This record gives sequence, structure tokens and C-alpha cells, in this order.
Amino acid sequence: MPEQQDWNALTDEDFRAIFRDWVEQNCPADLRFMRKQRPVFDEVAVWYHRLADKGWLSPVWPQEYGGMGLDAAKHIVYVEEWARLGCPRIPDHGIGLTGPLLIRYGTQAQKDFFLPRILTGEHVWCQGYSEPNAGSDLASLKTSAVREGDDFIVNGQKIWTTLAHCANWILLLTRTSNDGPKRQNGITVLLVDMTDPGVTVRPIPNLRQETDFCEVFFDNVRVPAANVVGEVDQGWALAKAVLGHERIFLGAPSRPEYAIKRLERLAEDRGAFDDPGFVARYARLRLDLYDLGSAFERFARVLRAGGDLGPDVSVLKIFCSELYQRITEEMLTVAGEEARLWDDLQTAEGEVDAMNLYLDSRAPAIFGGSNEVQRGVLAKGVLGLPS
Amino acid sequence: MTGLILDDEDGGLALLRESVASFAARHDGPSTFRNRRSSGADMDRATWTAMAEAGWLGLLLPEDLGGLGLGLPEQAVLSEALGRALVSEPVAQLAVFAGTLLTEASESAERTRLAEGLVSAAAIVAPAWQGRNGAAAPVEARAEGEGYVLSGTLEFVPAAGSATDFLVLARAGQEDMLLSVPADAAGLSHSLHPTLDGAQLGTLVLDATPVAAGKVLAGGNAVSAALEKAIAVTRLALAAEMAGIATRAIEQTVAYTRDRVQFGRAIAAFQVVQHRLVDMWSDAEFANASVVNAVETCTEEGGRAGDLAILAAKARAGDAAVTITRRAIHLHGAMGFTDDCDIGLYMKRAVALNATLGQPEELRLQFVARERAAA
Repeated sequence: MPEQQDWNALTDEDFRAIFRDWVEQNCPADLRFMRKQRPVFDEVAVWYHRLADKGWLSPVWPQEYGGMGLDAAKHIVYVEEWARLGCPRIPDHGIGLTGPLLIRYGTQAQKDFFLPRILTGEHVWCQGYSEPNAGSDLASLKTSAVREGDDFIVNGQKIWTTLAHCANWILLLTRTSNDGPKRQNGITVLLVDMTDPGVTVRPIPNLRQETDFCEVFFDNVRVPAANVVGEVDQGWALAKAVLGHERIFLGAPSRPEYAIKRLERLAEDRGAFDDPGFVARYARLRLDLYDLGSAFERFARVLRAGGDLGPDVSVLKIFCSELYQRITEEMLTVAGEEARLWDDLQTAEGEVDAMNLYLDSRAPAIFGGSNEVQRGVLAKGVLGLPS
Repeated sequence: MTGLILDDEDGGLALLRESVASFAARHDGPSTFRNRRSSGADMDRATWTAMAEAGWLGLLLPEDLGGLGLGLPEQAVLSEALGRALVSEPVAQLAVFAGTLLTEASESAERTRLAEGLVSAAAIVAPAWQGRNGAAAPVEARAEGEGYVLSGTLEFVPAAGSATDFLVLARAGQEDMLLSVPADAAGLSHSLHPTLDGAQLGTLVLDATPVAAGKVLAGGNAVSAALEKAIAVTRLALAAEMAGIATRAIEQTVAYTRDRVQFGRAIAAFQVVQHRLVDMWSDAEFANASVVNAVETCTEEGGRAGDLAILAAKARAGDAAVTITRRAIHLHGAMGFTDDCDIGLYMKRAVALNATLGQPEELRLQFVARERAAA
């Protein structure tokens, strides 16, 4: 096991310096600032294994399970530096979802079996939540799991399953009962081996003509009852509880930050800063990004003080995703006639993937709870508005 | 989580907030606003004197000038609380702006007299330095004997009718000067113009007004430095006041829409109304975050970073206060269009403060120009 130390005892600045130095030396140059938002496992395996060997793959897992044991404050630093240095996103559902869920709710046998295999990359996880008729309204999910002896028999379909085509395990929300007074009852979390018979994955090309997400079909898939996490019918609370301080990252300014740098590069090259109309629009975007930093800090400070995030953190996700869209929209305005082109735009300072970002920016306002769902959360949870 | 969230280890800020709240209970903001407006006054002297007694007029002034010697966090909290309560006296223009000019001026008996008067409310010290376009527009100063003779016109002078003394920006040849001119000086006259927020702004005319040498408060480069400082600190106070207005306006609108029943439901139960309220609340949160950022950046770093943070905060809080109160009027329905409903007063105050010392678009352009010049 790699050496660990008490990272939380360092100052944020010291930890930042240590983390940054190592990442700069170890994250392969050809993987930095990748055009692809969600590379598949094989494309980034080198980086994944380097992190694992160093013991830095799982920032928030406790050290006894092979994680770094970072508190929220240090985790923010980790994520900030990761974005600043342009490290590629790795398939991280095992690290960010299955791992924390098992550490909190799993049996000893589940922890012993699954956690080390996440760290080695042997198991690559995906998240089986959304269904064709259960997106924003996730609690209406229908994929069924019926008890048969020591097994559950799973039938149904998941969709928008990110990176399912490079995963071999799926964390599945299933319907085990329709009896409760609320639809949130009767949902069970299952750990499912995707190489088992009856599992079919069909990638869905997205707006960017890449395959980030997939459909996953389950046809009489046999899953051992030992693979239930927590209690049968009680999975909803588990799935929600595992989303702790990580919700702040949905509003982290890294995407709009990256996009505005590309906008600036394009605008410099095309002389847009000589156009007062552009400068006024740019100024609004720039200040929105600046103030997003101030608002992010407001919530980061709560975490640093050891507090928990409330529902109000959704405000970041809405603002951040909509800002990202507005920046990329401005890129196309600056591109003028060239906005008809699919390829990256050429500038004296390098390429600008305007169209790529424009298309990519449609997604964050939809995923992780669409912005309308988030507004509903704020209306009820923060403003206390009636139903 | 709402309002300005600042480090408050000794609880001083919380105490300040409470004292403004209890002050506002005794000096109701909206009714003072209406009374002042109908009487044509440029300020409410009773409120002003009470604020002097509370020590708020000299909050930022150093102790050797009779002030409390407190900092930007305290001023921000005071201004925010005044904004919330719609206590709409010219604290930003007189206490903060004129106070900062006096703090930055060089030592003199006149400076001490003015500062003491400002703090006790015995004097009303009004800065007079702007032209019609809002920029600094010094009047002409001609040396005569031991002193100077001033001629010219200055605009947007706060409390011009109540003022006992003016801090006048003048220029003799190439040199800027800041002079103290008593309201009863020869050749000095003013006209008053009612403002949106129920006060009066003055046009000050100086026609060969003689000023003694001892009334020169600052000269040379110190004048523009003092002005810049006063503009920056006042912008921050205005931003905090507008953040308070924004936060209070959303609270009032949530309360109103929860009470108001149409189609058999509270209108706050309709999703379209809920999402509008959420967007308003979100704008207020960003305004609060930007003001906190400005206070902390100025306190911890200062310099260019502090200047940028203030530009951002004034722009953000101004946009938030104006657009939130505007949307709030809409959500109050026809009631919102009446003069009886306080929400309209919040909107008018927001528009007036937003227009003071730079509107958001102008401030954003300044931010970008400064940032890009440094890059």
C-alpha cells in the first residue's frame, strides 16, 4: 500500500503545492486539456494507475481503505488543481460513488472484495440510475429486481448511463416493491456484474458525436442477494446520502473558466476587443465568472469550517451551467461565418474548440438534476414556498 | 444562508446589526422616506442626529478625528442593515465619502473642525466635486492675496440645502485643491432637484467666492488620491446597502406571494412564480457574496485586487438591487404599483444608489480595462 500521511494537517497552500508538483510531473502531457470530456478507461489508464500507485486515486476515502482521507477543504484543493492543470476526467464512478457508498453502508465482505478492485482499475463502475421514464423524476424508476432464492432477477432498462461501454460493474437502482406509500420506498441498490448474461450495453452518440453515455438493458440478469447494499427497499436514502459535500463541485467554476480563456484567445485573434459591443458582452461574462468565484467561496468556507452544505448550494450549479452556456454562445458570435465549421478554430495562440464547447455546454444544465429541478429544490428547501 | 457573512469572532458585527434593527424600529425607514419627500427636505435631521449619537457617522473616521476608527467590515454591515431597513439618509455620501476625504486630507485646524462636526452632526459636510457627467469637474481657483477665489458649477451635491460646509474640488492652473467652503460664503448659491429616492440633490454655483488660505484641505496629487479612495470606499458602502435592499426585497416578496391567494392557491405555489423568486434570491446571494469578497479582498490584499473586487461588488449589487426590486413590484401585482406599498420605495432607492458613482456597465468596463491592462 502506498505511503499516506495526514494531509489534513497541512495548510491548504502546502497541500496545494505538493499535489500540484506531483501532478505536473506525473500527468502525461498528451492527456492534459483533452478535447474529450469523458475519455474511456483505456485512454486514460496510464494516469489512473499512476494515481493509484501513488495512493492519490481516491481523495476522500479513509486511509484504511486506500484513500487519502481528505476533508472537504483539501478535497476542494484537489479538484481545483486537477482542473487547473487540465488533467483528464477518469472513469470515476467507483471512486466517487460506489466506493463511498460501500464504505458507509456496505458489508465487510463487500468492502473487502470491491474496494481494492476499484483501486487497481480491475473494476470500472458506472451509475445505473436514470431510465427512459425516470430522469428528473428518478423515483419513478421501474427496473425490477425480484427475489428468487439467494438471487434477484433483474429486468428493465437504464439510460444516459455515462461510460457504461467501458465499465464492467454497474451500481443499479432497482424497484423491489411498489407497496409503500411513497415511490421513494421500494428502491434497492444492487451491485451488478455487467459481464453477466442478460446485460446489453448500447452506446448513444451524443450532440458532440461522441459516445459518453449508453443504454443498458437487463434481461433476466441474476444478481446474488449478497450484492444488495444496505437494506432491501431502502436504497433511496442511501443514494441520496452519498451525495455530500461533492454537490459543491457541480458549481465549481472550472468549465466556464476554461471556456472564457478560449473565448479570450479567439477574441484577441479576431480583433473583437476593438469592438465595444463585444467588450461590453465580454465584461458581463468576465464579471459573472469572477462573482461565481466569490459565491463558490461562500460555500467552500462552510465546508472548511466543518459544516454541511444545505440545499442552497444548488444556486451554484444553476449559475455555473448557465454561464458556461453564455460564454460558449459568445464564442460562436465572435466566430462569425466560421461558426458554420465543425473543426476547431485556428488562432495565433493555438486552437480554439468553440463548437466542441458550445455543444458540451448544453449538458451541465441538464445532468445532475436539471436546472428546473434545482430551482424547485431551492423554492422548497430554501425559500420554503408552498406546494 | 443569506446576507453578508463575514468573520465575526468577537460578535461585534452581530451587535451592530442588532443596533441598526432596533434603530429602524424607532425611526421607520419607509415613513421617513415619505415624510422627507413630501416636505421637500434633502435629509431627515432627526434621523441624522440619532445616527450621530449611535456613532455611525464617524464609523470609519480615525479616533484622533473623533471617529470610531472601525473598518470596512463594520461599514459594510452598517450599510447593509440600513439598506434592509430602507433608512435612506445620505450616509454613503456624507459620512463615508466626505469622511474619507477628511481622513485623507492633511492635518489642519479646519480638517479637525469639519471632522468633529461631521461625527456629531453639528455640521453637515457635503462633498461637491462632480460635473454633469458624474466625473470630477474642479471649479476654477484663482489665487488672490493669501487665499483663493472660486468660480464654477458643481452637480449632484448631496444635502446641498442642509449643508453647513462644502468640500469643494477646485483647480488652480495645473494643481488640484480640496477646499472647505462655508455654506454662507459670498457668491455661493445652490438650487435643489428632487431625487427618485425622496431627497434633493443640489447644483452648487460659486461666483467669485473668496476662500481663506487656511481652508485648503489638500493640494496636488494628494487630491486625486483622496478622491479615488473616497470613491472606492463609498462604492463598497453603496454595494453593501444595495445588497441589503436586494435581500429585504426578496424576503418581502416571498412573504407577499405566500399570502396572496388567487385561483384558490397562494400564488407562491405556482411554479412559474417559484422559479422567478428563486432567480431573484439567487441574484441576491451573488450580490452578498460579491460584497463579502470585496470587503475581504480590500482588507487582506488591497491594491489592484481590492479595486477590482469593489468594481465587481458595486456592479453586481447594483444590478441585483435594481432588477430584484423591479421584479418584486411585478410579483406584488397592482399593489406593487401603488405608492402605499413599500416595495416601490425599495426600487426607487435601488435605482438611485445604483446610479451613484458608476452604473454596472461602466464599472464592468473599468474592471476589464484594468484587468487587461495588467495582463
